[in-house]
Amino acid sequence: MNSPPETPSAAERPAVTDAELLTAHINGDPHAFSEIVKRHRDRMWAVALRTLGDPDEAADAVQDAFVSAYRKAATFRGEAAVTTWLHRIVVNACLDRMRRKSVRPVADDELIEAAERETPLPDQTVEREVSMEVSAALKLLPGDQRAALVLVDMMGYSVEDAAQVLQVPSGTVKSRCARGRAKLAPILSHLRNRTDSNRVSSAKGAELRDG
Amino acid sequence: MTGDTHYDLDILAELAEGLLDVDTARQVRGHLAVCDPCGELLADLATVREVLAATPTPAMPMGVALRIDQALAAEAESRKGGGVGLADAPDWDELMRDAPWERPVEVPEPAHFGRSAGKVPETDAPREDAAEPVRLGVVADDGTIVPARRTRARRRGWALPAVAAAAAAVVVGTAVASTNLLAGSGGQGETVAPPVALPTQSKPVTTPSQVQRKPVRAKSYALTDSQHNYSDHELRQPLEGVFGPAPIVGGGTSDAASVDKCVSRVANRSKLPTYAVDQGQYNGQEALVIASWKDKAAQKLRIDIVDPFNCKNLRRPALGRW
Repeated sequence: MNSPPETPSAAERPAVTDAELLTAHINGDPHAFSEIVKRHRDRMWAVALRTLGDPDEAADAVQDAFVSAYRKAATFRGEAAVTTWLHRIVVNACLDRMRRKSVRPVADDELIEAAERETPLPDQTVEREVSMEVSAALKLLPGDQRAALVLVDMMGYSVEDAAQVLQVPSGTVKSRCARGRAKLAPILSHLRNRTDSNRVSSAKGAELRDG
Repeated sequence: MTGDTHYDLDILAELAEGLLDVDTARQVRGHLAVCDPCGELLADLATVREVLAATPTPAMPMGVALRIDQALAAEAESRKGGGVGLADAPDWDELMRDAPWERPVEVPEPAHFGRSAGKVPETDAPREDAAEPVRLGVVADDGTIVPARRTRARRRGWALPAVAAAAAAVVVGTAVASTNLLAGSGGQGETVAPPVALPTQSKPVTTPSQVQRKPVRAKSYALTDSQHNYSDHELRQPLEGVFGPAPIVGGGTSDAASVDKCVSRVANRSKLPTYAVDQGQYNGQEALVIASWKDKAAQKLRIDIVDPFNCKNLRRPALGRW
């Protein structure tokens, strides 16, 4: 898995791999699984939060996912990276939740959000607004497109890695991303001037635009 | 100009992703070279990628991390003993001890608790005669004590229970301070001020003009046990009528501790000061109704309904009034 740099530097990290930790866990080491959780929880949280767009839902999904990973550790087969496997469990937990949720009326935090618009919080920075807009826009996409965009565009994973997590061919990931971006373009395009001058410098984006 | 056929966002997105066959791709590129509107759309697609990539992904909140540790500990326990999974509740004092927002703080003595407690009505019969000077102060947003308002119109009907609420708030506050469970980090944004608190023993407040301004740093709230079965409709009505008359629950029981656990989790999520908590039911299911100030001046509350065992929301948080 293409792993973005973790907070602790590689030097500080113990030389135990995820796979070794998982084996230790299966063999009854009571601390091994906590170490895996510690290493990956931030990324799992980011994936779940962005996929579900709701902190409460994301917390439930990540918890379910870790408990489920804990239980089925023995069924993990070494051909995939442990991180890929964990991502898969988290993404599936999120997609499950979305499916179940779509039955319920989408009440959202509309009331709360409306109240916040009336009395903007002092810390409501541009960044936070953009973040909320992105969350709201992502919610308009079908789950499979949302999951693909979260992994590829937001988390920065390669299409191949995302394909392994989602267990679909790379071409499918690409077309889900393409369709998702096409739907988001009219909604998010107004953010261009807000972002590309100061915060965004994406070589890929420029490359894309320039043909 | 060959601008007679424009391309839609789907085609352009597929082009960008390399999904078009060679001939179509060449055709679209040829068109893009001369068509500004389509070039603009392509730029919009690039913006989507940029915005998504630039959206920050926050670290997992401490509360969620603790929750997961707890769930995994329960899982480990159930595996080990083969017994009940959730039997082993985590030691929250221990877990939260080093969290940055959990520092021991000074809490005022509940000086007049005995006297106030004597007035706690056994039933929910509201009375009118409570406008007598009550030795109460209300903790303002900045943490200082200001005299409790005596707007008769507002307090009519629940004035006495308010005294009881104050007593309970102090009991809860004290119990909490002794375990550091909910102790606030004084002076910072997330400090949760108690809704009502008593002034110190040395200088009892007898009239509003003599109110002693003293910073109070305990996280606290009034805890009631109405066993009322709430409905969504009722929760849109002002809560004061329901919360006020309910019998007060003292601190220190295991019940109060588990309520505390949920209250602190909800406070963690909402980042709002908890004002009052009632133990009751929601659509027939056991529930904690947790009211936190959204906007105190406007009497606006956020109302969280959670189940008292796992602290999970039973419905979406909503706005309510006091």
